[in-house]
Amino acid sequence: MLVLFETSVGYAIFKVLNEKKLQEVDSLWKEFETPEKANKIVKLKHFEKFQDTAEALAAFTALMEGKINKQLKKVLKKIVKEAHEPLAVADAKLGGVIKEKLNLSCIHSPVVNELMRGIRSQMDGLIPGVEPREMAAMCLGLAHSLSRYRLKFSADKVDTMIVQAISLLDDLDKELNNYIMRCREWYGWHFPELGKIISDNLTYCKCLQKVGDRKNYASAQLSELLPEEVEAEVKAAAEISMGTEVSEEDICNILHLCTQVIEISEYRTQLYEYLQNRMMAIAPNVTVMVGELVGARLIAHAGSLLNLAKHAASTVQILGAEKALFRALKSRRDTPKYGLIYHASLVGQTSPKHKGKISRMLAAKTVLAIRYDAFGEDSSSAMGVENRAKLEARLRAIEDRGIRKISGTGKALAKAEKYEHKR
Amino acid sequence: MRVVTVEPHRHEGVFIYRGMEDALVTLNMVPGQSVYGERRVTVNEGGAKVEYRTWNPFRSKLAAAILGGVDQIHIKPKCKVLYLGAASGTTVSHVSDIIGPDGLVYAVEFSHRAGRDLVNVAKSRTNIIPVLEDARHPLKYRMLVGMVDVIFADVAQPDQSRILALNAHTFLRNGGHFLISIKANCIDSTASAEAVFASEVRKLQQENLKPQEQLTLEPYERDHAVVVGVYRPIRSSSKSRSSK
Repeated sequence: MLVLFETSVGYAIFKVLNEKKLQEVDSLWKEFETPEKANKIVKLKHFEKFQDTAEALAAFTALMEGKINKQLKKVLKKIVKEAHEPLAVADAKLGGVIKEKLNLSCIHSPVVNELMRGIRSQMDGLIPGVEPREMAAMCLGLAHSLSRYRLKFSADKVDTMIVQAISLLDDLDKELNNYIMRCREWYGWHFPELGKIISDNLTYCKCLQKVGDRKNYASAQLSELLPEEVEAEVKAAAEISMGTEVSEEDICNILHLCTQVIEISEYRTQLYEYLQNRMMAIAPNVTVMVGELVGARLIAHAGSLLNLAKHAASTVQILGAEKALFRALKSRRDTPKYGLIYHASLVGQTSPKHKGKISRMLAAKTVLAIRYDAFGEDSSSAMGVENRAKLEARLRAIEDRGIRKISGTGKALAKAEKYEHKR
Repeated sequence: MRVVTVEPHRHEGVFIYRGMEDALVTLNMVPGQSVYGERRVTVNEGGAKVEYRTWNPFRSKLAAAILGGVDQIHIKPKCKVLYLGAASGTTVSHVSDIIGPDGLVYAVEFSHRAGRDLVNVAKSRTNIIPVLEDARHPLKYRMLVGMVDVIFADVAQPDQSRILALNAHTFLRNGGHFLISIKANCIDSTASAEAVFASEVRKLQQENLKPQEQLTLEPYERDHAVVVGVYRPIRSSSKSRSSK
């Protein structure tokens, strides 16, 4: 009799050496007390190893659904058909399927259960080619990939990317600012007027990179970087500059710094694009409501999209203004009206008088969008677009008539106008 | 100023923290990390700093059983444990601390929401193997699980005895032990708690799961009991000779 035993490293087919012992079901366990005894009663006939976790995953899913996957079919055909012996299986349903598809007689009985228990307890000793460590590692890996498969884990819905990207963006900005200040100061020793003429940092660095020493300005071509008059100004200033001379080596180092600055600037634009893409993929509704940057900052502040979804709308409204909030709460004063949400475009485009009102309304709708993105199955931004349109309509209504009510009947409207005329 | 000490409990792998208040603690396998926001304590032991995590008996039935005075929990270092009903992994993390890196705990949990948290806990603790399957069908995850020494069942289902029996027949070694937490309300909310516990114990006995002790989890839980027992006890050779 052959036994089919599935493990996380592969399929094992054992041959029962001593069939007589199978008659005594109750004492069968004694035969598996030690690896040596176990090897006397069953012997590994064939071991079909899984090449990688993907194969193991496919085998497991087939096993769970009670089907035979290709690998198992191959093994069964090759080994069992040749041997013309019945096959013992752990799962009766699987046995039925094997009999149907491959016309092999399968056994499933209490004896088989005992046999399985025995093999399982001596698994390490009975399968020589596989080290216990390897089996344990494979088991762990398979369990984790299985759970990911069950939880329908999709790699592009991971919000850790957003949190890291926005932190990196802030770090890059700080560093970039430091480097540029340093660059200006350093080169200003040689050519101070350039700093005053060119205010844009990136142009300054590019210009510097092109020219280098003050002497080369007369012959340099700066037309792509600067407009005509500025170029002329720069060239004139280069002639009569009050800065000191510097050696080749010094200019070399300053040029290195400039190259670094330009590279970091380029990377920053790339990173921003990446962040926009990720935000759109992970939280499309939030992106539509408050924009990518504000959305990313909210997620980073809360730690994860799921954490952010657990907050109330009033919390999201003042997320980012904790210092002001607790200071006001302690001294019983007015609490802040907006936190990170202040930088959303909807709040930015209202007059200062109505910023608080808009911030509250925006927070309420944004929280709906956050929860939709965090827990919802589909990833379209239709809901966000709808809500934003509603908010924009309300915003216009507020701006147009400050005294007018947003909701209410037309009668109230007429009354207000009547009073206006009386004046 | 009272000196803060950590002394070992009667059960191997569990410790008692004696400081301002006494607490049940386990040795943190991942120092610096809290699994469910529990308090961590660091103690100087022979020069090195050792971190322990407090174990809340109101949240964990195993801790409630230990504090209730259970005789044997059978979960000790280097043990292999099958944990049915792992939920978000709060008690599983303490079991993982007790068994140490050489032990293994197979954590079975069917719910996806709790399973997500369980997988996160399992990411930093390599002795936890998450199994997101229904415990009612142990054959479905037979590929992942080997033979275990202890089964801990905390599933809160009306057919939990049957679930425990099925899993024991497939995965629990002869002479292995089981701990099952019985919630009287869950099995039959109309009958009295004692009657429910007695009927569950009878069901277990029919499946060759011999109960050895039973204790209620007062004051931590109401109408809950933990039954500890042995599966297919290995009779010593002299006894078997006499029976033949």
